[in-house]
Amino acid sequence: MGVISIEHSDKLFWLGRYSVRVFTELESVLKYYDNMIDGDVISYKEYLKNLGLADDYKNGQEFLQSFLYDENNVNSIAYSLNRAYDNGIVLREHISTNALSYLQLAIDTLRNSKSSTNALRYSLIPLRDNMFAFWGCVDNYMISDEANTILRLGKSIERLDLYFRLGYPLSAIDAEFKLLCSRLLKMPRNSPYNYNRKSLTVLTEVTGMENYRVRLGEALQALANMFTPNPTPKPQKQFQFQQ
Amino acid sequence: MYKAPQITTPVGNADEINALMSRYGVKFGIYKNGTFKEQLFPFDAIPRVISHKDFEKMEKGLVQRVDALNMFLYDIYHDKHIIKDGIVPEDFVYISKGYLPQCEGVTPPKNIYSHISGIDLVQAKDGEWYILEDNLRIPSGASYPLIARELSRIAAPNVFSDNAVVDNRNYAIMLKDVMDYCNCGGVNAILTPGRYNAAYFEHSYLAERTDSLLLQSNELFVEDNVLYHRDYSGTKSRVGALYRRISDEYLDPMTFEPESLIGIPNLMDVYRAGNVAIINALGNGVADDKGIYYFVPKMIKYYLDQDPILKNAPTYLPFYEEDKKYVLDNFEKLVIKDVSEAGGYGVVFGSDLKGEELEKMKNLVKTQSRRFIAQEVIDFLDLPIIEDGKEVMRKADLRAFVLSGSQTKVWASGLTRFSRNPDSFVVNSSQGGGFKDTWVLSR
Repeated sequence: MGVISIEHSDKLFWLGRYSVRVFTELESVLKYYDNMIDGDVISYKEYLKNLGLADDYKNGQEFLQSFLYDENNVNSIAYSLNRAYDNGIVLREHISTNALSYLQLAIDTLRNSKSSTNALRYSLIPLRDNMFAFWGCVDNYMISDEANTILRLGKSIERLDLYFRLGYPLSAIDAEFKLLCSRLLKMPRNSPYNYNRKSLTVLTEVTGMENYRVRLGEALQALANMFTPNPTPKPQKQFQFQQ
Repeated sequence: MYKAPQITTPVGNADEINALMSRYGVKFGIYKNGTFKEQLFPFDAIPRVISHKDFEKMEKGLVQRVDALNMFLYDIYHDKHIIKDGIVPEDFVYISKGYLPQCEGVTPPKNIYSHISGIDLVQAKDGEWYILEDNLRIPSGASYPLIARELSRIAAPNVFSDNAVVDNRNYAIMLKDVMDYCNCGGVNAILTPGRYNAAYFEHSYLAERTDSLLLQSNELFVEDNVLYHRDYSGTKSRVGALYRRISDEYLDPMTFEPESLIGIPNLMDVYRAGNVAIINALGNGVADDKGIYYFVPKMIKYYLDQDPILKNAPTYLPFYEEDKKYVLDNFEKLVIKDVSEAGGYGVVFGSDLKGEELEKMKNLVKTQSRRFIAQEVIDFLDLPIIEDGKEVMRKADLRAFVLSGSQTKVWASGLTRFSRNPDSFVVNSSQGGGFKDTWVLSR
């Protein structure tokens, strides 16, 4: 369906954000799990610190259980996946029943992995597969370019936010920023996704700095304000010619 | 003894199909103790089979019935010949909760009131089909057999090669045809109360399949007696057909329930001006009132000058003294229905009541006789279902879907609901019932 309501545009945006959050957090959490295999039991604390979260966990295992499966932990993958589904379910006619089914499969996979006797990362491979299939399916079925762009805007904003916080290499940040810009330019100026000029300027500067983390706070703020309306330009002074 | 055509083995593995149902989000919502929960609508893999001959008769009977009901609705909101001619007492019309005086004189586009009619039937052990009730407001449930067939064909293709089953996957096309036919100019839209409605799966699935917009009321507005939808960039587009899944009383707070937050202010003006088709039309409740049900065979005779092809379940109206006496004398063998309730609520089997409860109910029937109907308990043909790996027999009904557009057509399928409780006749999903695929044989 081509016409997008305000409500649905918001859901598309957040579907993009939550689906990327699931994927990116999964990669990060499993990276720390991989470190634990070699006896590194404290590096997960770095993850918490990067995200500005308190370390209330007794050990790495407790951290892992909570950040993977705890549906009440707003920073967990389970929570993000449920929110992705909540946004997706009201978008069935845009994204298709087939695409939605991959989110359901992802939820089932994550829940099953909790009690699986298989190795953790092995049991979570289908979760990554389902997320890839979900995005592919959305691409395949979504007729509306605008809807696709709004969803991808959400993905870009979320990716940049997490990449900044988690200290991703500048090359990854720069590539995502270029994608964000191309998506922003596609949005109608009178839509809620008209970019804030000041935010874009800040991000242009920060993504050109090798040591971008010195301006991390500014970059995150710029992302948060990306769709804040621009100030109305002041009326220009009228010059009057003296007779 | 009538022998129903029956497939006695499940079509594929019910667990596989239920897993597919879960994957595709085939759920319904239910509020229990103030909490919203989504649950799977339990699917049984043994289909109900309707023979070609049975369906031919049923089809004719349903078209006849729905045509007469549509004529009745027009008549009631215009000239009221059927009241003037003494066929239906006015008491049953004007005190019906479904009668809306605001609809007096309003003619819906293409003169169709009930575009989607859900007619509930049961088959008795002698093979005769009986109409149990008409649902002409917002009958739901078509999406379940629709997707169940799709999934059954994935899980068990051979069964469909070996049996001549009419393909039922045309429901969305039939529905879209109806919407297009009545459309007054603009897009087709489905109006949903939102994500937490019990039938939200159906709303969103049908929107996808009919290529309609799925909207909530806050995305719609009325301007100069035209209904518009505003998109995210502020562009407005006209809505020409609105398949609403919201009850009449909440649809327009300016005309009906002023507290309604899920309605569209001034929608009634658009409808009155003939600028939008509301599917189903407002005010249909007067025709599917359980009290009016009694008169449907008389309507068929009155409007079409035909004998009814399908029978009503034997029904008594305590409103009539003679019927009241019969009902009170035979309470234990009748089922008593509160005409203002739906979804399996307000249904009491006389045989279940004892002592004080029985007397209380009898007294209600005596003092509020218009509020109740009584029906003979039909000895349903039980259908086999698989429970814990074993075949058991359960009560089941059939909701047939009749769509009225340029023609009145019966969908060659339907929603077969069954009771999971061996002692119960109540099959509603809200009360724990399950469903089956409904096969119509093509020869």
